[in-house]
Amino acid sequence: MSLLPLLAFAALLQQPAPRSITIDERLADAAGLAVGDRVVLGTTPGGAGDTVRIAAITRRSADPSEVARSEFRVRLHLDHLQTLSGSGDRVGRFAVQSRDGAEPSAVAARINASAFGFRAYPAAEVAIETSATFRVVNRFHRAIGVITIVASAIFLLCITLLKVDERRRDVGALRLIGMSRSSVLRAVVLEASLVSLIGSLMGAGLGWFASAVVNWYYQGVYTTPLRFAIVTPGIVLFAVLLSLALGVLAGLFAAQRLVRRAPLELIGR
Amino acid sequence: MREIVLAARDVRRDYPVAGEPVHAVRGISLDVAAGDWVAIVGPSGCGKSTLLNLLGAIDRPTTGSIAIRGRDVARMNDADATRFRLTGIGFVFQRFYLMPTLTAAENVELPMAEAKLPRAARVARARELLAYVGLGARADHRPYQLSGGEQQRVAIARALANRPALLLADEPTGELDARTGTEMIALFDRLNRDGTTIVTVTHDEELAQAARRVVHMRDGAIVDQVLRRPLADAVPAPPHAPGTAQA
Repeated sequence: MSLLPLLAFAALLQQPAPRSITIDERLADAAGLAVGDRVVLGTTPGGAGDTVRIAAITRRSADPSEVARSEFRVRLHLDHLQTLSGSGDRVGRFAVQSRDGAEPSAVAARINASAFGFRAYPAAEVAIETSATFRVVNRFHRAIGVITIVASAIFLLCITLLKVDERRRDVGALRLIGMSRSSVLRAVVLEASLVSLIGSLMGAGLGWFASAVVNWYYQGVYTTPLRFAIVTPGIVLFAVLLSLALGVLAGLFAAQRLVRRAPLELIGR
Repeated sequence: MREIVLAARDVRRDYPVAGEPVHAVRGISLDVAAGDWVAIVGPSGCGKSTLLNLLGAIDRPTTGSIAIRGRDVARMNDADATRFRLTGIGFVFQRFYLMPTLTAAENVELPMAEAKLPRAARVARARELLAYVGLGARADHRPYQLSGGEQQRVAIARALANRPALLLADEPTGELDARTGTEMIALFDRLNRDGTTIVTVTHDEELAQAARRVVHMRDGAIVDQVLRRPLADAVPAPPHAPGTAQA
């Protein structure tokens, strides 16, 4: 009986298991990699490297600053990274997780005071720093929103005036048969309110659907869980209340214009 | 002796046009007894419609008095006149003016709702009135589902909703074809025979001939009156008359 297979098996047992790494979803998609696959990891293209096993595929956080970055991300165990890069324990930056209850700014101050050259920042400060561009974009969007609302309000007022004025003969006839000014006013305002309420709910539904389509499309394009458009209950409530207020005001203004006129004038006599 | 529902005395209406007064109605006096049917006729611009607007508390005379059931409508303020038109006078217009989004029954209920009549009572009365004008089966139809004649019937039912003392009609057959117009005249005749006091302004000769009394106007004044059918003093209005309020 040959001992060769036994020796080969023993050699296999002696071989160290490959180190594990994680890659991000974007790299997995681009290279067609899956968990369990083995790849060679090196510092130079085509050069020697370590064979490693993909232990997990990570998804990037929903951070706007991450969306436009096109590089791939690989995570290694620290000692493996030090060996592979040949940089030893020299690093440009690293994150420190503080214990629960520790004040981040106090921790950062202590680190900064511990040695010359350290610059520590609380995560919130970093987030504010990196999202400055997005805050500007956000304000820009708000400005567009305000302009849209003002333009819509003027449009709504004009449409309401036109639609109410179209019915001046009906209103004139109602006044002639004894309908009081206040009854006409109430009826017009009630109708305008209902129309604006239903319109705002339909608009909110349309907005929710449009945001779902936008998110579906761009989340696919950028491989990110980031939501590009959001319709929150607060936004819906604001939209409905604003629309209702505008509808009531427009209805009131239009009705006032009608009931001030004489019934005979309204029916064209 | 019949009650005088409408008494107009020396009614004048002047309009200022470009600084000059236009005398639309010149000193008209007219009595209309309960159960009467007066047709006011005359050429266009003779002041018929202006007179009707004055009689119906829509407009105010420059001078003179107009009393309906003893109340001087010429001196009422706008709110009182509106209220009086709601309960004291029924109006029928040439163009029907039904609310397009409401059913026939709801259109008839409208003045009763404004007069704060309980819902059950106004629903029942609307059905009763629509049945009276021959539209019992079409109570739930909307105006666009009705012919011109049917719409005018709904308008008449609406005018009678609050049991007015007087029914005023301005060219009620003006928008109708000849056959439908004849049917409408028959309905007015029936209303009058059932006790409704009617004043119509019309160019329609057939409608004028159906009235009990024809008043001819020219240049804002009454120039002739023809009594076609006298009112029988002893004939009371039927107790079920759907229109005019009982004296």
